[in-house]
Amino acid sequence: MTTRDRYMLELESMLKVIPEAQRKEWLYDYYIHFQQAVENGQSEEDAARELGDPRSIANELLLVYRVDQAETNNSFGKLSRAVFATVSLGLFNIIFVLGPYMALTAVLIALWASSVAIGIAGIGIVFESLWNRTFTIPQALSLGLITSSITILLILGLKALTSAFYKMTLKYLKFNTRIVKGNNK
Amino acid sequence: MNIQFKKGVLEICVLVLATRGDRYGYELAVKISEKFEVAVGSVYPLLNRLTQDGYFSTYLRESTEGPPRKYYHLTPDGWSHMRKLIAEWENFTQAVNEIVEEGLKP
Repeated sequence: MTTRDRYMLELESMLKVIPEAQRKEWLYDYYIHFQQAVENGQSEEDAARELGDPRSIANELLLVYRVDQAETNNSFGKLSRAVFATVSLGLFNIIFVLGPYMALTAVLIALWASSVAIGIAGIGIVFESLWNRTFTIPQALSLGLITSSITILLILGLKALTSAFYKMTLKYLKFNTRIVKGNNK
Repeated sequence: MNIQFKKGVLEICVLVLATRGDRYGYELAVKISEKFEVAVGSVYPLLNRLTQDGYFSTYLRESTEGPPRKYYHLTPDGWSHMRKLIAEWENFTQAVNEIVEEGLKP
């Protein structure tokens, strides 16, 4: 097996998650690169050395793929995968990408939980008062009205906040790839 | 040169290299690696990302020798993105230069 074949196989084996058409297209770049390097009188070994570690190239390609997926699909699962893909590029990203991402996600979840809880409390007040007369009916109804309006406002705000967070994360991931992408020669 | 720094300017260089007519991947990768010490292989993921962002469009064209080459064409979006990056870069280097000159004054 030639150096080129080994290099291509190693790269391909690490890109299994990428759909075939896309993967083929991306691998073609490296295939052609070897081809042209050899035409220019370079040995395959030299070309492979110049290209760099196939593992770090695979990591970079996976990140490009994950960020694109998160961008076109709007799903938190996809976004988290993109965040995790940056982590394989280096320790820097665990601290500056994964850390803040997990913290902010936790804050968002907590906010969502609180607004749902306020809504449930409002319903609870009304029913509690119907059975146990804790509050008079008009009192209970106005309390219910207040809590449900607070809930609606919170949910509207949170929706905007969540989608802003999603967009910012993607933007930051791209910015971050620009800076730390790849590894040293 | 510091690696984080180097990677940040790669994007500008790749975009600028494609301003004078379409380039194929190998050409760009080699041109870049002549000037900066980067793993040649990491130029391609960068090209892929810029393509997905709509800054490049690609097409295959037969070459006289060997398999068809993939060409990168700078789109109008790519042009304006490049101008924005260059403006940012100029502001940045100007600020650094001012501080360096100030600091090294006798």
